[in-house]
Amino acid sequence: MWTSEHSGEAPDRRPQAGGHMMSPPRPVRLRATGISKKFGRRQVLSNVNFEVRAGEVAAVIGSNGAGKSTFLNICAGLISPTSGQVEVNGSVGYCPQVGGTFDFLRPSEHFVLFGRGDGLKRGVALARGNEMAALLGWSPDPKVQSRHLSGGTRQKLNVILSTLGGHDILLLDEPYQGFDRGTYTDFWEVIWRLRDSGHTIVVITHMLNAMDKVDQVLDLTPTGNERNR
Amino acid sequence: MTKMFTVAEMVLRDLARRRTVLGLLFLLPLGFYAARHDQTGQAIRFASLGLGWGASTAGLFSSNSAKSVEPRLRLVGYSWVTLLVGRLVALLLISWTIAAAYFLLIYFDQDIQRPGALAVMLALTAAIAVPLGMLIGALVPRDLEGTLVLIAFVGVQMAIDPAKDSAKYLPFWSSREIGTYIVDPVGDDYLQRGLQHGLGVTAGLILFAAVVTAIRLRRRKHIHVLTQPVPAGTR
Repeated sequence: MWTSEHSGEAPDRRPQAGGHMMSPPRPVRLRATGISKKFGRRQVLSNVNFEVRAGEVAAVIGSNGAGKSTFLNICAGLISPTSGQVEVNGSVGYCPQVGGTFDFLRPSEHFVLFGRGDGLKRGVALARGNEMAALLGWSPDPKVQSRHLSGGTRQKLNVILSTLGGHDILLLDEPYQGFDRGTYTDFWEVIWRLRDSGHTIVVITHMLNAMDKVDQVLDLTPTGNERNR
Repeated sequence: MTKMFTVAEMVLRDLARRRTVLGLLFLLPLGFYAARHDQTGQAIRFASLGLGWGASTAGLFSSNSAKSVEPRLRLVGYSWVTLLVGRLVALLLISWTIAAAYFLLIYFDQDIQRPGALAVMLALTAAIAVPLGMLIGALVPRDLEGTLVLIAFVGVQMAIDPAKDSAKYLPFWSSREIGTYIVDPVGDDYLQRGLQHGLGVTAGLILFAAVVTAIRLRRRKHIHVLTQPVPAGTR
């Protein structure tokens, strides 16, 4: 089986929200059941089961082509699985691996566009966007269009846009590609903060050192006959 | 409505920063117009086709550039109708602005019997072209395929004898009928036929584009939204 699910075993170095371990079971925010996906004759996912609760961070790992992004896209409802279903309890924010922004719009205009979709007023969207940017150590230049941003900064913009509406569930597809070390640390600080306020975060990652910071891991690495798919 | 205006505003801002594109959008009909400048009827018809080609190309590229972002916008709360109408409104505004500029140019440059009909023809051409480009953008995977489809449409439109019955199946046939009405002493039936054809094509293209957009941005059946309340303190 290559759909293993296990808890992170490394020492917990996260900031603790008082009584986290003592509190009653938190509600399930995202439950994927029997997810399979084929592209043509190629089986990408096979009977994947996954459940994550409020106030948890989950990592999705696996080798290249293991179907991590496909799985996240299915959870976000952006593509359909061949079989299986996803139950969602709350609103969903999604950060793609690439793209996801308009080249000729400025970061502030993205804040307004995405914020409006989330029902925020223009001023609130701008304030929240800039606040989130500051948490990631970024001060957006008001005149720079997103096509002129570096890869890492563009990914910061993507992360901010996914968190702008205060969604209950965040699905982040390799969000820290291109981040420098400081931003990487800032990113996890933001994730912990969100987790401690009850948000559910699912992160696709290749970075093994991120494993000790998550509550559970879904490993999509193929094994045996599935390795060559 | 606020969301729709926000989408329209961002499409306008996006396009306004593509200055070369804007310049070419304004210049394209001029080339067509200048090529037949000595024949009033042909000059008007070709300016109209140039406007149509430019506006539909803008629709095509605008739709394609939004393809990777729109599913995300859908997720944060925009409906497919809002996304479609917002883009349509913004592109129509730009296209009608170009149409207005060409109305003034032709009005002062040519001997026109019915200037009101000229305004109608140019406005209608833009109204056909924008959803045509958006529809092609929604149907084809990339810009290159869309551009080739568009070239095929406009090329056939220019090459075909407009008196043929088959010409009526092309999107910009109305420009020939209204163009004749503008310069020749013909009856109102020319204007009527042109309007009927143009409005019908516009409505059909918008409807078709709406169906394709609704399918592309549909909510997937495998997602089941639970209404179980999340206890206080876990938000």
